[in-house]
Parts: sequence; structure tokens; C-alpha cells
Amino acid sequence: MKCEQYQDLFTDYMNKQLTAAGRADLEQHVAGCNDCARELALLKNIWDQLGELKAPEPSAHAKVRFQAMLDTYTASVTEKRSLWDKITDNWNRVWQLQPRWPLAYSIIVILISFGCGYLIFHNSRSDKQDQQLQALTSQVHELKQTMMLALLENPSASERIRGVSYTSEIKHADKQVINALLVTLNNDPNVNVRLSTLDALAHLANHAEVREGLIKSIVQQDSPLLQSAIADVMLKLQEKRSVGSFKELLKQKDLDQGVREKIKETITQLI
Amino acid sequence: MLRVKTGDLDKMGLLFERYHRSLYGFLFHMTYNKEASEDLVQNVFYKMLKYRNTFTGDGEFMAWMYQIARNTLKDTYKKKPQQTSHYDVGEFADKIAGGTLADEPLEAKQTRAELHGAMGNLSNDHREVLIMSRFQELKYQEIAQILQITEGAVKVRAHRAMQELKDVYLKMKR
Repeated sequence: MKCEQYQDLFTDYMNKQLTAAGRADLEQHVAGCNDCARELALLKNIWDQLGELKAPEPSAHAKVRFQAMLDTYTASVTEKRSLWDKITDNWNRVWQLQPRWPLAYSIIVILISFGCGYLIFHNSRSDKQDQQLQALTSQVHELKQTMMLALLENPSASERIRGVSYTSEIKHADKQVINALLVTLNNDPNVNVRLSTLDALAHLANHAEVREGLIKSIVQQDSPLLQSAIADVMLKLQEKRSVGSFKELLKQKDLDQGVREKIKETITQLI
Repeated sequence: MLRVKTGDLDKMGLLFERYHRSLYGFLFHMTYNKEASEDLVQNVFYKMLKYRNTFTGDGEFMAWMYQIARNTLKDTYKKKPQQTSHYDVGEFADKIAGGTLADEPLEAKQTRAELHGAMGNLSNDHREVLIMSRFQELKYQEIAQILQITEGAVKVRAHRAMQELKDVYLKMKR
């Protein structure tokens, strides 16, 4: 090896970074080479002197400061952690107290029972409500009927008209109502009441009794207004059975001339 | 350090006991400023606490510590751009003059002052390697780990640093 290459190793030599063999080789070369010996001596001097530049000991204060810093830091960390830990710990404890499977099982049972309870009570309640509602409506219905029947007996004509008008609100008129209406139609002293009764009965014309009653009442009516009104209703209902009654009516001598013509016309239209 | 990482923060005290002297030495040689070095030591240990999760445990703790120390050093002196070099020459020169060893020959004091000045003239990279190998007595392999370069590169750098120191020193002697 050349001197230059040995000199490259001087730093490593002083640094004690050379292998034992490399060390021995270098020492051997330096012993026989003046240049290298001088160079190494110079470097070694610098190296040794450098070692004399000792760093002072850190002051005792450093230790105290560090401990204070560590304490503060530890405190801040544990504080931060403790809040979160408390929550997670409590949560975990819930699971630890209750073995998982039984807890899961009981939760499922609770859910199922809630579901069943909801279904059962929901249905029964709606049933009950429906029943109540039906009872209530039928009650109202009855009440109206009774009120209507009572009103028909009222001495005031306007009250009787009101009673008749209630029938339009009664969807399923029973026999009692129809009879009451027919009686009113035939016997009521007031023409207006009878006219409105006729209107009400015309709405209930799908009942066979109503039609029969109407046909029968044709002969009994003496007011020309009512006679022509019945003729109109019969025409509307296309009731051919009424022709007989109309013909009987025509036999009456005191029949109004206008009514007579109207009835004739009706008869021709019906036939 | 791994114990510290898992939450045993008190173990940091042990690490401080064991390493703060050598760390202080390194920082002192890098700065030649007692107070600044102590602050830096404090800073480095605080950072090790704060960033304990970044310690993987793969490498040596020493290497990790020196890496943090170097970064801290860089950051600290980046904040004070008026100081181009963080090597405080003046302070130590005074200290040499009024050295504690009164019976020391004047020549030795002189040499040391000159050497100290020469060190101040080195680039940070070179001085760093010299400090680590001469004062911290770290092996090339350890230095390589700290600087995250190859062992060969450390070798070359140490050699060049020594040559530069010699040149500067001889120039000052003349």
C-alpha cells in the first residue's frame, strides 16, 4: 500500500475503528516511514488535544427541570386519558358484568315480547275503536230518527219540514220512518210539509213500500200543486202502476184544469 | 424506551439518568453554550416524550435520541437566522483564558484555544462527525445510523473532517 492510502486510515486508527490486523499493518508501516510518522504524530496531537476540550457537567438544575417537565407531562396525559378511559371502562364493565350470550339472549327476548305486545294491543285497540265508532254512529242514527219522528208531530209547520229534511241524512230508512213519512204525506194539513215529504220519499223510492204508498196517495191528494208534483215523481220513477190511480183521479170533477192536462200527458208518457 | 411508549412514562426518568450527560456533551460541543445546551437537552427529552409513538424499537435508542437532538438543534437555530453558525467561539475562548487549571502551561491553553477556533471553522457536518467519534466515542456504524448514511460515508466524512481540522489548525498556528 502507498503512504497516501495509509494516511487515509489515520483517522480510523485514532478512532480505534481498525481491525487488529489493519492496526498492526499500519503501525508497521509508520515505523518504517518518516513522512507517515510525522503526519500521524501531528494528527495524534490534534486528536489528543481535541480530547482535552471537555464538555462541562450539566448542572444539577437540569435534572430538577426535567423531573418537573416529566411530572407535568405525565399529569396532562393521564388527565386526558382518564376521562376517555372512564367511559370505555364503564362500557367494558357492563359487558363484563353480564356474560355476553345470556345478555344477548335476554335482549332478544325483550325485543320479541315488545313486538308481540305491540301487535296484540294495536289490533285489539283498533277493533275496540271501530266497535265504539259503530255504536256511536248507530246511536246518532237512532237519535236522528227519533228526533225526526218527534218533529213530525210538532204543531209548527216549519219544524215538521225540518223533521222531514232529516230523512235525507238517514241512509237506511226503516219501516217506521217510511210509515211516518207516508202518514205525513197523506194527512198533513200544510201543503209545504207535504211537498217536502214527497221530496224526501222520492229519495227513498228504491223501497217497494214507498212506491206503493206513493201510488195509493195519488187519489188522496186534493192540492193541485201536490197532484202535479206526484205526477212528476211518477214520471221520473217510470212507475206504470200509477196509471190506474191517475185515471181515477181524472174522474174527479173538481180537478184543476192544468193538473188534468198534466196528468193526461203523464199517463201517455208512462204508457 | 419501549416501556415508555406503552405508557410507563416514569421510565423516562431512567433514560434521562442514563443518557442526559452524553446528550448534553454532544449539544455542548455543537453549540459551546452551556445554557442553550441545557435548554436543548430539555427540549429533546420533551420531544421524545411527545413523539414516543414514533419510536419503532427497530434501531437503537441512542440513534433515535441523536436524530431528535440534531433536528432540535437545526430547528432552534433556524429560528435565529442572525446566527449563521451555532458554534459560539467567543464564550469558550474566555473560559480558556481564565481556565481552572492555573498551573497549566500557557502553551497548552493556547493550543486548545486554537483548536477550538479551528473546530468553529469546520462545517457542521464535519464537526458533527468529529464530535460523535471523538467525544461521544460512537462507532462508525452507530454514527451511520444516526445520520442515516452508510458506514463508508461516515468513514470518508470523518477522514475529511480530520484533514480539514488539521489544515485549519496549522493555518492558525502560522
